[in-house]
Amino acid sequence: MSTAPSPSRPDAAGAIATARGLVKTYGKGPTAVHALAGVDVDFARGQFTAIMGPSGSGKSTLMHCMAGLDTPTSGTVVVDGLTVSSMNQRSLTKLRRTQLGFIFQSFNLVPTLTAAENITLPLDIARKPVDTAHFDAVVAAVGLADRLKHRPSELSGGQQQRVACARALVSKPSIVFADEPTGNLDSVSSREVLTFLRSSVDDLGQSVVMVTHDPVSASYAHRVLFLADGAIVAEITEPTPDAILEVLGTLNRKVAV
Amino acid sequence: MLRVALRNVRAHLVRLGLSILAVVLGVSFVAGTFALRDMLSSTFSGIVDAGYAADAYLRGADDSPQAGQDGASAGAVRTLIPANLVSTVEGVDGVEHAFADFTGPIVLVGTDGTAVASAAGAPSFAVGYYPDDPTINLTEGSGPTSATEFALEVTSAESSGLSVGDTTTLIVGGELTDATLTGTVDLGASLAGATVVFLDAGTAEEVYAGDGRVPTISVFASDGVDPADLVADIDAAITGVANPGAVETLTGEALREEARADIDGMLGFVETFLLIFAGISLFVGGFIIANTFAMTVRQRQREFALLRAVGASPLQVFASILVQAAVVGLLGGALGIAGGLGLVTGIKALFESLGMDLSGEIPVTTTMVVLSLLVGLVVSVASAALPARRAALVPPVEAMRDESPGQGRSLRIRGLVGLLIAGAGTGAVVAAVLQAAADEDAGTGTLLGLGAVGVVVGALLLAPVMARAVLGVLAVPFVAAIRPLGKLARGNVTRNPRRTASTASALMIGMALVGAASVLASSTQASMRTVVENEWQADLMVQSATFFMPAASIDDIGGLPEVESADGLAVGASFVSGGTTSSGDAEETMALIGMPADAFGRSWTTEAISGDLGSMLDGALVVDKDSADAEGWAVGDELTLTTPSGSVTAPVGAVINSEALNAPVVVPLELFEEIQPQAADQVQMLLLKGADGVGVEELRDAVTAAAKPYVVLSVLDDEQFITQLAGQVTMILNILYALLGLSIVIAILGIVNTLALSVIERTREIGLMRAVGLGRAQLAGTITIESVLTALFGTVLGLAVGVALAAGMPTVFASSGLTELAIPWGGLGTMLVIAVVVGVLAAVWPAVRAARLPVLEAVTVD
Repeated sequence: MSTAPSPSRPDAAGAIATARGLVKTYGKGPTAVHALAGVDVDFARGQFTAIMGPSGSGKSTLMHCMAGLDTPTSGTVVVDGLTVSSMNQRSLTKLRRTQLGFIFQSFNLVPTLTAAENITLPLDIARKPVDTAHFDAVVAAVGLADRLKHRPSELSGGQQQRVACARALVSKPSIVFADEPTGNLDSVSSREVLTFLRSSVDDLGQSVVMVTHDPVSASYAHRVLFLADGAIVAEITEPTPDAILEVLGTLNRKVAV
Repeated sequence: MLRVALRNVRAHLVRLGLSILAVVLGVSFVAGTFALRDMLSSTFSGIVDAGYAADAYLRGADDSPQAGQDGASAGAVRTLIPANLVSTVEGVDGVEHAFADFTGPIVLVGTDGTAVASAAGAPSFAVGYYPDDPTINLTEGSGPTSATEFALEVTSAESSGLSVGDTTTLIVGGELTDATLTGTVDLGASLAGATVVFLDAGTAEEVYAGDGRVPTISVFASDGVDPADLVADIDAAITGVANPGAVETLTGEALREEARADIDGMLGFVETFLLIFAGISLFVGGFIIANTFAMTVRQRQREFALLRAVGASPLQVFASILVQAAVVGLLGGALGIAGGLGLVTGIKALFESLGMDLSGEIPVTTTMVVLSLLVGLVVSVASAALPARRAALVPPVEAMRDESPGQGRSLRIRGLVGLLIAGAGTGAVVAAVLQAAADEDAGTGTLLGLGAVGVVVGALLLAPVMARAVLGVLAVPFVAAIRPLGKLARGNVTRNPRRTASTASALMIGMALVGAASVLASSTQASMRTVVENEWQADLMVQSATFFMPAASIDDIGGLPEVESADGLAVGASFVSGGTTSSGDAEETMALIGMPADAFGRSWTTEAISGDLGSMLDGALVVDKDSADAEGWAVGDELTLTTPSGSVTAPVGAVINSEALNAPVVVPLELFEEIQPQAADQVQMLLLKGADGVGVEELRDAVTAAAKPYVVLSVLDDEQFITQLAGQVTMILNILYALLGLSIVIAILGIVNTLALSVIERTREIGLMRAVGLGRAQLAGTITIESVLTALFGTVLGLAVGVALAAGMPTVFASSGLTELAIPWGGLGTMLVIAVVVGVLAAVWPAVRAARLPVLEAVTVD
């Protein structure tokens, strides 16, 4: 466990996703807001990375740019060897279909489809066959085998998020982006979802990036990046909630000064 | 934040814009109907004023050939009066001029060699020319003075292409006559396309008043004579000259009033018909408005909850929504008035291009404006009331919750009510059919009509209940063929069956109408075909565009060597008395057909229900079954036929049930001529048989050549005859298709409205699907399938209801000639294709909108 003032760049060759000189600016002239002010970051393959930071620090913007949901003002994003930042809409759609998995804070499921249909939705959209063995493995891992025929409205919040997790994993994406996946959940459900995300990394070799503001959630990750004012200001590996709180405390003091 | 605010405004504009458009369409129809009615009314008043310009008139007292104490029945034709009363009237103090009005049909051949007639079917008639008639204003040349001269009304002259001095052909009194145009006359009013030919008074008298009797005598007073006094003086003068009570004198104003009232009555019918469709379009527009408000209310639920939480009363929330609806209604109403006036301007231009000039400005009356605005307001507010009430009554806490409340209230009550109404309607229809099957003459049309309304209303109410099942079936091909879009689309349309059903209601109503009408039309055609095939014996038939055939043409054609027999069917009317039952009205005016006694079995055949058709050769009458039943006639009864020209008494020889010879009494031509002295001019159709060894084509060539000089004659074989008989049905069907067009426009608006709103509503979901890899084209495809499914749902349901209802009609209306049931599968298939096209068209804009939603903003939208 170590803290560093600037982000380390572990072996870039082993990274599943990298960003170089990432800048995102809203507005122009004196009123311009720099959501990202030149971020360099690498997300390691087969790791669970958490991004933390106060509101407005740019953590969501970073994730949106990495996932091709938002276009950076400048800089490059490369995911699994593909340059995301220079892709057109068509290629981005294809990228999301095949390379990326998403888990949002809420409204993760299509209400008219059953749990099973929601899980296979990315494959159906891509018209790819469902790998039954993988599907069964994922479903078993999230513990939803007996809930597959239910509609989202018949599932609890935690179950809905676990369906979303299964959906994000079923297409074997290069990387999964999770945006506050436990933001709306109670602590028990949160633990289930986070444990599952961690085990998907440890057992299945999945790469996961999660944005969160909850130190306990972040402590499930291998590595935590801290953002403030559009830049990465700190990083810890193998975090504990206390260590995270400590870093956050120093960051807040800096902001206060 | 500004962007969010702007987007909200735009979204609101979209929502309200479509609602406004729905109101505009409905109100346009209402405003247009009123404006059209006013315009037609003023056009026809102008014609009435120009046509009846004299100060007083003499006419037959009523339609009785005798003294006439019984009340004249509606629409009865008045008797003629002696033309020589003119001399008596001219002697009355204060009378400046008196003219006998010699008038009748005429055919004028224009420079292009065809009969001059407007496409709108206005009549062509001749009137006697009196040089000193003060209403006649010669604009060019001089008046006609002999049988080979004529004058023309100015617009008639224009449309004929003839100039003063030109010689052309007239068909006067059934004879071809060459005559020279001597001048043009301005009557000071638009004639709505009628062709008016002036003949010199002597010629007109000879042709149209051969028996010395005319329909009216026009009287012009000297200056300063009161019309009422004039009428009294004339009455005094003719007493003792004319048969007492046979001649009626009235002021010009009284006659004009009467004529205007007649026209208003007719226009009122047209108005009612159009207003029914305005009502349907407003009804459907109401659905669009209700849908819109239901959706916006759901979206703004948290806003209302906030308002409620800070102390707004439910009533205030309710009122705030209704104010919005009122704005929509008033705006739509105002634009609708403009739209209606535009519509009428278009109609006016259309009529003008058809040669029918409609007078004057398009009127904008206060009544029309107020009524149109009121209609818009009421429809809009009434449609928004239910969603507004729902919004107002939601408890603040519940609305504050994140998840939108479940879709809703149970459909059970609605389903039950729908089932009840549909059941009652079906019951009524079945009862009508059974009753009709048991007794052909039972008047079950009303019961059928009420039942039909019940079934349609019931189906509208039941539509949401049936939606899931029906849409499930309709979606099968899409789900199978287009994975996974078909399934997604099916999920979306069945998500809120109430909304899908009300969106589809416009098409449902339109398609029910068309389904019923097309079944009815093809059944009518099939029935007519059966009649013609069974009863028609002739090789060819000749008809005139002017209703009656020129007498000379009958001789010409009958005299051809290729023609074996030419049986003319003459039509007339008389009082008929006799029979075994002594019902109150022993005397009634009835239509007669006069035909050669040997025509049955030669040109025409039909089964005699009782008696023997051959008895016509002995001077017996043949009567129609319906009339025989109504009047109590039986074979052997003596009937007396009376007209102003005479009276004949003859026995009933046979009773027939012919759909083609649709007149109560068929009279042998010899008897017919006794009571109808102008029988030769009353022939409506000529049935021809070719001579031995003459082929139909050879016969047709010969007859066509002989008919050619009479420009108005057409030669038809049985196929053409069927087509012509079916022509009226086709016309009604075309009107219904035009109205279907209207309901399709509204349906497209409705689907666009629902889809656009549900795209806004489903922004998050769309963002999510795009995030997990749904392409733009796939998203657009899903929305298109939703749209097509909605359109198909309305169409299938509507056609099913319409066809099912129409299937009952042949039984009910068998006595009116509808005997066969034919379902036009091809036509119905076309409707399904139209539904798909409608669905695709309606989807374009919402689909493009949805596809353009930026993924990030869609997933992060609040």
